[in-house]
Amino acid sequence: MLVPIFTLKLNHKVNPQMVAVGKYDGIHTSLACATSAGKVLIHNPHKRRLQSEGRMSGGEGDISLLNINQQVTAVESGRLVAGTQKDTLVIGTQTNLLAYDVDNNSDLFYKDTPDGSNAIVLGKLGSLDPLLAVVGGNCSIQGFDSAGNDAFWTVTGDNVSSLTLMDFTGNGQNELVVGSEDFDIRVFREDEIIAEMTETETITALCSMSDNKFGYSLANGTVGVYEKTARFWRIKSKNQAVSISSFDLDADGVPELITGWSNGKIDARSDRSGEVIFKDNFNHSVAGIVQGDYRMDTMASADQLICVSVEGEVRGYNPAAPDMSGNLMDANLEQDSIRELSQRKQNLMLELKNYEENIRLGSGNQIGEYDKAQMGIIPANTQLQTTLAVNSGDEKTPAHVELLISTSNETVIRAVLIFAEGIFEGESHVVHPVSSILSANLKVPIIPPKDALVDLHIKTMVGSKTSTQFHVFELTRQLPKFSMYSLIDPNIPDPKSSVTFQINDRVQRVLLWINQNFLMQEDLECEGNLRVAFMSLRGTGPLIIQMEQNSQMCIKTDNMDLAGDIIQSVANFLKIEDLQSLVEYPTEMETLEKVLVKVDDYHSVRQKLTAEMADHSNLIRSMVVRAEDSRIMGDMKSMRRGYMDLYDLNRDLINGYKIRCTNHQELVTCLKQVNQIIQKAGRLRVGKYKTQVVNSCRAAIKNNNVSSLYKIIRTGFV
Amino acid sequence: MDPMFLAYSYFRRRKYQKCEEICSQLLEKNPYDQGAWSLKTRALTGQVYVDEVDVDEEGIAEMVMDDNAIATVARPGTSLRKPGTGQGMPSQGVRPMTNSGRPVSGFVRPGTQSGRPGTMEQAIKTPRTSHTARPVTSASGRYVRLGTASMLSSPDGPFINLARLNFSKYASRPNLAKALFEYIFHHENDVRNALELASQATEQCKFDDWWWKVQLAKCYYRLGMFREAEKQLKSAIKQQEMVDSFLYLGKVYVRLDQPLTAVEIYKQGLEKFPGETTLLTGIARIHEGLNELDDAVKFYKDVLHYDNMHVEAIACIATHHFYTDQPEIALKFYRQWRLLQMGVYNTELFNNLGLCCFYAQQYDMTLTCFERALSMADDQTLADVWFNIGHVALGIGDMNLAYQCFRMSLASNNDHADAYNNLGVLELRRGHIEEARAFFQAAFVLAPHMYEPHYNFAALADQLGDLQSSYNAVKRAVDAYDGHIDSKELLQQLKQHFSLL
Repeated sequence: MLVPIFTLKLNHKVNPQMVAVGKYDGIHTSLACATSAGKVLIHNPHKRRLQSEGRMSGGEGDISLLNINQQVTAVESGRLVAGTQKDTLVIGTQTNLLAYDVDNNSDLFYKDTPDGSNAIVLGKLGSLDPLLAVVGGNCSIQGFDSAGNDAFWTVTGDNVSSLTLMDFTGNGQNELVVGSEDFDIRVFREDEIIAEMTETETITALCSMSDNKFGYSLANGTVGVYEKTARFWRIKSKNQAVSISSFDLDADGVPELITGWSNGKIDARSDRSGEVIFKDNFNHSVAGIVQGDYRMDTMASADQLICVSVEGEVRGYNPAAPDMSGNLMDANLEQDSIRELSQRKQNLMLELKNYEENIRLGSGNQIGEYDKAQMGIIPANTQLQTTLAVNSGDEKTPAHVELLISTSNETVIRAVLIFAEGIFEGESHVVHPVSSILSANLKVPIIPPKDALVDLHIKTMVGSKTSTQFHVFELTRQLPKFSMYSLIDPNIPDPKSSVTFQINDRVQRVLLWINQNFLMQEDLECEGNLRVAFMSLRGTGPLIIQMEQNSQMCIKTDNMDLAGDIIQSVANFLKIEDLQSLVEYPTEMETLEKVLVKVDDYHSVRQKLTAEMADHSNLIRSMVVRAEDSRIMGDMKSMRRGYMDLYDLNRDLINGYKIRCTNHQELVTCLKQVNQIIQKAGRLRVGKYKTQVVNSCRAAIKNNNVSSLYKIIRTGFV
Repeated sequence: MDPMFLAYSYFRRRKYQKCEEICSQLLEKNPYDQGAWSLKTRALTGQVYVDEVDVDEEGIAEMVMDDNAIATVARPGTSLRKPGTGQGMPSQGVRPMTNSGRPVSGFVRPGTQSGRPGTMEQAIKTPRTSHTARPVTSASGRYVRLGTASMLSSPDGPFINLARLNFSKYASRPNLAKALFEYIFHHENDVRNALELASQATEQCKFDDWWWKVQLAKCYYRLGMFREAEKQLKSAIKQQEMVDSFLYLGKVYVRLDQPLTAVEIYKQGLEKFPGETTLLTGIARIHEGLNELDDAVKFYKDVLHYDNMHVEAIACIATHHFYTDQPEIALKFYRQWRLLQMGVYNTELFNNLGLCCFYAQQYDMTLTCFERALSMADDQTLADVWFNIGHVALGIGDMNLAYQCFRMSLASNNDHADAYNNLGVLELRRGHIEEARAFFQAAFVLAPHMYEPHYNFAALADQLGDLQSSYNAVKRAVDAYDGHIDSKELLQQLKQHFSLL
């Protein structure tokens, strides 16, 4: 049984996910946690230990607080300055990023990050030379070097919720793995996306493990491990995983996935199977898990696993000694396995009994029809058919994809269990009609929230109307990527917006792609120029795909996202590496123009409000001093007056603050919109052109050059 | 002569009053004369102009309710807020504090009162003797800054009515905007309006003018928005390196309590402007603030290398030598200063010369110097001169003269804590215990940061058998200066005593 080698209390609250460990003076390991009221606490147990060889304790003397004066959103530490052993503490707030040299009490840089900073990671990225602090904000990812220069910038689909740096491709360079609020995990090689995986919830944490593996956790309590783009395993809990980390706890040379849960549980799972090899419990939710050589013990060469709870309790674990042979759990392992074995025996006995019953019936052959039905016996040739069709809906029901399940004879479907990721809330869906309307057909409406390829695992219980036992049919159907579009007559007026590009391939191949990716009753055929029209069931208007014989392709839809999805999918299918396109999106451009004007307005208003607030707060300070002055002098009358004034001014200040908050919210939304439009414009291109569009858009925004921004979005270059 | 030309001539010769009068006449004739208008704003500004870089006294409000510093407990030697933690400084026993609790720096300038009281009550109480009052606050745009004209009443209303000014109109005219900004900032001292003008003007010139950025930073600095000021200054420096910008940025970091970053900024400035004495002085001042006097003196010497008439450097080096037991060298510096600076002929200098002479055993000169000092002294300095004479008298063993001198000192400044303390000692020697006790008490009530009266009081109370008050006093002494051996011993002894009971 593995026990903590040290436990201490910080006596401060710790914000979840904001724990970092670093050697800020280059020698001694310290713990940095964000705590309440915009402060960051640094716990350094070693400075004092050098003077008096005492035991490690969480006394006040070891803790120093840093005033940030803003809500801290992320804390990370690591090497940022090349050529020193000192770690830098990087603190992100909603509007700023501070890189701070704790030892020298000096800033490395202090930067405005209007997109916020939800996640920070430090390290080398790709072939970029300097060490970077990569910050994920609202739809944008920025990298700063040690001087605060903006060395890296790109956009992503939604607010970034987690980041990690790892060697994804195994080429010896780090790739950036980004988890965002649109449930996607994207892998960036510098500013190019090389892989994209869709999950079912916001990705709250990511951590790199050995051999191209990385762990992830979702907001719905899922924890799992990917190897490259393939998922190894995952488990789901009703609690939420707050922090994950990879650490070799059983000393077998392979790191395990350590998860800290919101109910205070900590468990270590094998990276291969997800099997729990160790667990422990805190009394409060876990705030963070980090690793570092915290004891500065010359005997133990390895780092310790350090777990911090939200109430400031810290526990450290050493990797297990080899003689424990990976057995880290409680000693009553035998009891557990006996219980498990007897459970299995019970199950097997039940199954056996069932078979015996069936044999008895089968051999008897003289039982009546009624009994047969009761026992759930169905004709041997029963088959189950499934059809997917697009249903345009009517007044009562919204448009949906219809899954029709029917049996080949008079047997009825009692219930259907569908398991599919990302379509249903909670990932599975059960349909069980009331017994009076049981029939051989069952229609299940499916509304996929976004365009993605989904495997539907369907389990159907089939029997007769009076059965109490049923047969289960298992089958898998694939829902094509663009399923929420119904084929319509191609002779409809064109939408205003379009994307035009050149591909070096035949029309037939594109037709093949359409047949594979859209949900149609029969495959399309076409001679000569291709023109296909679809209507979106999500109400985003028509979609027309055209292709000339000279292999010029045109996608006409008012939905920029959809056009991007189609282009990415086509490029993927036809294995196109680089694709440039001409984009006509008048409505999006109009929105962008409006948003940019708004951003300017908000900026100037904000500046005014900030100056006013600073002035007020200075006035408040001087009033406090004056009021205290009169108190000390015993002049209660003017003290009372002073405090009354103070109260009024304070109220004004709070009102001003509320206005500023609203202003800030609006500003953030606008900036997010801008980033999203850039991202959409990027998705209309493939490969290097995509990167080029994103980078030139960034440059145009930085230089406040709106006209060139439009041109870049339209043509793809300046 | 063309009146406009004359006005310019007056302006160039810094006869602002006359310049303003001519401009007013011109404006009466033609109210839309932009040249005259602009010149008048400049003349009005020039009358009250004080260099912003040096004027900065931290008020009580900023000091007590400071939330700009990041680290609350910084490593020793990296923060200006905990003086006395640095290395290489003579102990408090050798180098005393001034009345306001500041280690004697050798040169009085704003911002040298670094003793930070722990609580607001202490802050309000301690520095309120008539000689050391701190402003309540310095950040608010409403405070009356040194040399601000807004309190002077002008006969026919203010020259420019700020409330009715259309800032965007002026912001688009760079030739008028700059003069107007300086007028609003320096003359009207209305930082918020100045900020608005500056931000519109910098927008108008497409963020291309470093000057506006520095002005924006000045406004932000005044409003206490140091991070914004930092941003503007860095961007200004990127565009155009100017000594002023570096100095300002250094000031911002000092306010953020990041002295090492400030030194770094000054050094960056020095790379561009080698030998710039203001930058070197800035570094030296920070080292002095950190009590790293060896480093400070090194930089002051660098300053003297480039500008051998730099009064501040000479004074600080001299003081350092004086307190590190080299009065002869200090004497040399002070003399050099007097010789080089023909105009410097004041009480402080002669007082210091006198003390140096005394310690360098040139007794013939000592009293002459003090006589000169006395003859020039005003109310502010008279008490100190008398105190020093008393000190000399103690040194030569003339107790009566010493007694008289300390009395004289108190006569001119009855808050002089050092004089009270020394009088107490003298009374004790004469055996007047009650008087001595009263003097010590008066001394430590006036200057709680001095350890001597605390210890003296404790020692006296111990002898009288009043162990409780002795214990209290000696604890205060150890708090004020934890390196004082006698205090520690007494404390130890008392503790032992109490535990025996």
